[in-house]
Amino acid sequence: MDTSTELANGLDRDIAVLKARAADYGACHRVIEKCTWPQGARIAVNFTADFDAMLLRRVLNEPPMQLAKGEFGGRVGIWRLIELFDSHAIKATIFTPGRICELYPQAVKAASQSGHEIADHMWEHQVPKDPALEREHLRRAKDAIEKLTGKRPVGTRSWHTRQLLLEEGYIYNSHDTPDHRPHYISEPDGSKALLNLPFHYVIDDAMFFSFAWLNTENDAQRMMDPEHVEEIWWAAFLQQYRQGGYLNICMHPFVSGRALRIAMLDRLIERMKRLPGVWFPTCEQVARHVLSLHPAS
Amino acid sequence: MPWKERYTISDEKSLLDSEVTWPDEQRCCFRIVVDLAPPCGPAGITPQDLATPDAYFGMHGGLAALADGLRRRRLKATFAVPAVMAEIHADTIRALRGEGHEIAAHGFKHEDVSLLSRDEEKARLARTTEILTRIVGQRPSGWFSLPRPSDKFAGGAVSGHTVDLLIEDGYDYFGNGLADDVPHYWVTDFASRRAILTLPYYYHFDDQFFLLFPKKGTGLENPDTLFRNWKAELDAQYKRGRQFTMVLHPHGIGWPNRLHMLEQFLDHAQSLPALWNATSAECARHWTATFPAATHLKLEPSIWRDYPGSLS
Repeated sequence: MDTSTELANGLDRDIAVLKARAADYGACHRVIEKCTWPQGARIAVNFTADFDAMLLRRVLNEPPMQLAKGEFGGRVGIWRLIELFDSHAIKATIFTPGRICELYPQAVKAASQSGHEIADHMWEHQVPKDPALEREHLRRAKDAIEKLTGKRPVGTRSWHTRQLLLEEGYIYNSHDTPDHRPHYISEPDGSKALLNLPFHYVIDDAMFFSFAWLNTENDAQRMMDPEHVEEIWWAAFLQQYRQGGYLNICMHPFVSGRALRIAMLDRLIERMKRLPGVWFPTCEQVARHVLSLHPAS
Repeated sequence: MPWKERYTISDEKSLLDSEVTWPDEQRCCFRIVVDLAPPCGPAGITPQDLATPDAYFGMHGGLAALADGLRRRRLKATFAVPAVMAEIHADTIRALRGEGHEIAAHGFKHEDVSLLSRDEEKARLARTTEILTRIVGQRPSGWFSLPRPSDKFAGGAVSGHTVDLLIEDGYDYFGNGLADDVPHYWVTDFASRRAILTLPYYYHFDDQFFLLFPKKGTGLENPDTLFRNWKAELDAQYKRGRQFTMVLHPHGIGWPNRLHMLEQFLDHAQSLPALWNATSAECARHWTATFPAATHLKLEPSIWRDYPGSLS
């Protein structure tokens, strides 16, 4: 074989490997092209809150003031979110790490009693690599939530392995963003499918309002005001409303629970409610609806 | 709470809006904190930090313009002053006190105390108290650890000993906590309920993060964003009857274009009836008398269990 043939074969192998990987990854996803909602609603809006309070700050071993910044979420923010959603008769989904049940039991109980969904957000906001320990964490988080709410969680926002989530009876994850519409993630052959209810990092309060989010440098901070973010979120809502679709708004009680942002969310919800055909379900409601109307197989 | 050391500093739930009260039927507490530390790094103020145009403007033209505006409006502020700045500008500090402002401690030289040993931190704290007491003629009531522009986190740095040392030294309050938006108690020992009153701070209401932040060239100039953050929070907290704290740096906000924005904000604030402009010490005094820790700190024993393979 001469050199040029060898080179050409090498390039063919490159293409084949890349094609195979892309095909494989693609085959793991099935987007639900057109979701229809109950009672002819045009859009389903999930308000979701990741109730980590100071837990992730502690996992990352951040200094005392950072923990106190997170603590605001448990002492103040979560209560304001519950009050806000209750005042609009909206049922939200609170993704709650198991450990938070030991730190803020009153708040978790109150949220559940108001009819909000308490879903899993990992035992301590991290997923162990060891499979046995991972299962232990997932079960312990479930037990902690069930003990306070009397209901076992059926949803999660986590890095837990899909196989484990299915085995443990979870019906959805609300995590990755391969599409803005609800979709299934499965093995390439379509087996072991789990519904994903996507959120996006720009429909998430943290990037706009939480200093040093995702370990970003000071030069990268964009400390925004609520009106600016309200317009970004309103535009995202309106686009999906017009074409019929889905929006998942991700909040953190230590961020969105600040008074200026509660006031913004209140305005945003008012604006949404002025339009007909807006459905504000929990993630569990969306999941059960999608699973029955658009099953994985 | 279910108290948990190294996770929480206070009790499980803040006071409800309806429980918060201010003196003389005032509706909302309005606190202005002015940071008199020039921009510096974690080692604190160095000779180079004092020989910059910013440092000069912050203690001269910028400060004069800001103080003049406060005087004209009859607003009182808390000046957070590093001990070394009080030594350098003793007359200025005394004059600010003479106008009715509060002088509070802001470290020996605004250093990151988490880099110091306990003994070193204690010695610097004692010296700071001594210097401010001598220069001002009265002991500082409160202590601040405000953030530096280069800090990794925007909340201000304390060590594991700071709060305990402040209690030991007899401080009435710690000036910048993040766990609430009204005063609250920072507990250092569960069993004895050892705690210090902590006044709220939030970086979204601190001018330094919006005015040429973090430094020239890479900086972002967003006074309009700052204005909207201030206004949105003040309006929301006023409606709730809680409190609002803004933090100002004269070297930044003292420039005429920015000062104009501040004036507009203060016009708005002063148009709100029954807004209680208090110094931090006045706010702390009211809170300690009305919501003493003995009756209002609701700590419950930890229900946390340790498991193998989990954080403790």
